Amino acid sequence: MKKRGRGIGLSFYGTGYGNGFPDVSNAWVRLLKDGKIGVYVGGAEVGQGAMTAFVQIAAEALGVPHDRVLLEIEDTLTTPDSGTAAATRQTYNTGNAIKIACENFKEKLKEVAKDILNLNSTAALEVKDGEVYLEIFPQKRVSLEKIADFLGGNILEAEGSFTAQTTKLDPETGQGAPYWPYTFSACGVELEVDTITGQVDILKAVLVQDVGRAVNPHLVEGQMDGGYAMALGYALFEDLNLKRGVMGNRKFSKYLIPTSMDVTELTKIIVEDPESTAPYGAKGIGEPVMIPVTPAILNAIYDATGVRITELPITPEKLAKAFSDFEKEG
Amino acid sequence: MINIKLNVNGKDYSLEIEEDKRLIDVLREDLRFTGVKEGCSEGECGACSVIMDGRIVNSCLVMAVQANGSSIVTVEGLVKDGELDPVQRAFIEKGATQCGYCTPGFIMAARAFLNRAKDPTREEIREAISGNLCRCTGYNKIVDAIEEAYRYEKGI
Ligand code: FES
Ligand code: FES
Repeated sequence: MKKRGRGIGLSFYGTGYGNGFPDVSNAWVRLLKDGKIGVYVGGAEVGQGAMTAFVQIAAEALGVPHDRVLLEIEDTLTTPDSGTAAATRQTYNTGNAIKIACENFKEKLKEVAKDILNLNSTAALEVKDGEVYLEIFPQKRVSLEKIADFLGGNILEAEGSFTAQTTKLDPETGQGAPYWPYTFSACGVELEVDTITGQVDILKAVLVQDVGRAVNPHLVEGQMDGGYAMALGYALFEDLNLKRGVMGNRKFSKYLIPTSMDVTELTKIIVEDPESTAPYGAKGIGEPVMIPVTPAILNAIYDATGVRITELPITPEKLAKAFSDFEKEG
Repeated sequence: MINIKLNVNGKDYSLEIEEDKRLIDVLREDLRFTGVKEGCSEGECGACSVIMDGRIVNSCLVMAVQANGSSIVTVEGLVKDGELDPVQRAFIEKGATQCGYCTPGFIMAARAFLNRAKDPTREEIREAISGNLCRCTGYNKIVDAIEEAYRYEKGI
């Protein structure tokens, strides 16, 4: 028999390494010959969109268009350590390091501009649109190209370093601030289950993700779609079938991940509530997008049938058995 | 060793190859079309998809000798006069790629589908790409991109 149900799942997730562990990201910013700006970070792009976010953050901090920022990442010869692309930390941590490095870089630019423009100090100097100018007398201005020319072979470079703030949990009381910042998410699904075959069809799904500030809403949505699909697989299909340490399901025909036919349309809602310690308020969402989905699915199965599932993945065989057990027990 | 003839991305090749080579090996190793990706090597993921005589195939499942005399299009063959194919353009525009490993395969599957599609629904698009697996995108933006590519081509 087919039964319909609805369920929600809510989550909050602490990003970063946490628990007092020094969570450090570093960034370098350098003026290039043609007046463009090089940004160097060791944060890895793994498809999450870090490169795009880094360029956007640098361009914003420096007041230049994106195409004037040249990003170099992942090369240990040319970039500083920006920690792992893990723990949902790159946008927040490395984003902060880039922002700090850009601010330091602007101060250095002002020092050089002061000399070129014959000024007494750097007070009231502004960096914007690829120029340094005097706010109180904007005729006094010099472009980044000119500054690069003036410096000749001398390198103008600034560093930025950011260490996230967390404290170890007290072993006695369990008190502390183990993570910062947290992100919040919610998922709602409506589904139909076939109590004979154990087949689950998701009819409707909504995912809501708090991101502080969406540096790039398109990429945030992409992460939400991806996290949702991954959680769907986690809930319904994906099973390594480990037996005495040996993986039983080593093929995609056995270890099933959702296909385009399994993933339904997803309504995505981005919540922006800027985080004060974050670069332009932006928090990471890489892992959190997945978390509330599975509970929502299991709650919807419960709502539809009265059966509480406690083991994943809930494959059709297991679900059909759970239903028949439930009926037998009354 | 055996001789085969292939037309790949509009160019004729005559090759002497080991009999046990698969099409994917010839494309990647002999001809250096490395846009063809190898994911699973057993016809399950679609990363190696290419168009062979107008049909989408998994190039890891086609023996090179079976492809003798056929025309193959890989993702490298889609750019015309320096212009991206509408499918490629739409993938960029819609953000349909994350790690990118599956992307060439999806683009070829989409290309083969759009070559014969008429007013495709999202369901039909989902079905057309259901032989390609993606771990990152959740497929929705890929479906968006294929819809968009259809609009580009129809000028709507
Ligand atoms: S590599 Fe050919 S289908 Fe996976
Ligand atoms: S974009 Fe990573 S597998 Fe599809």
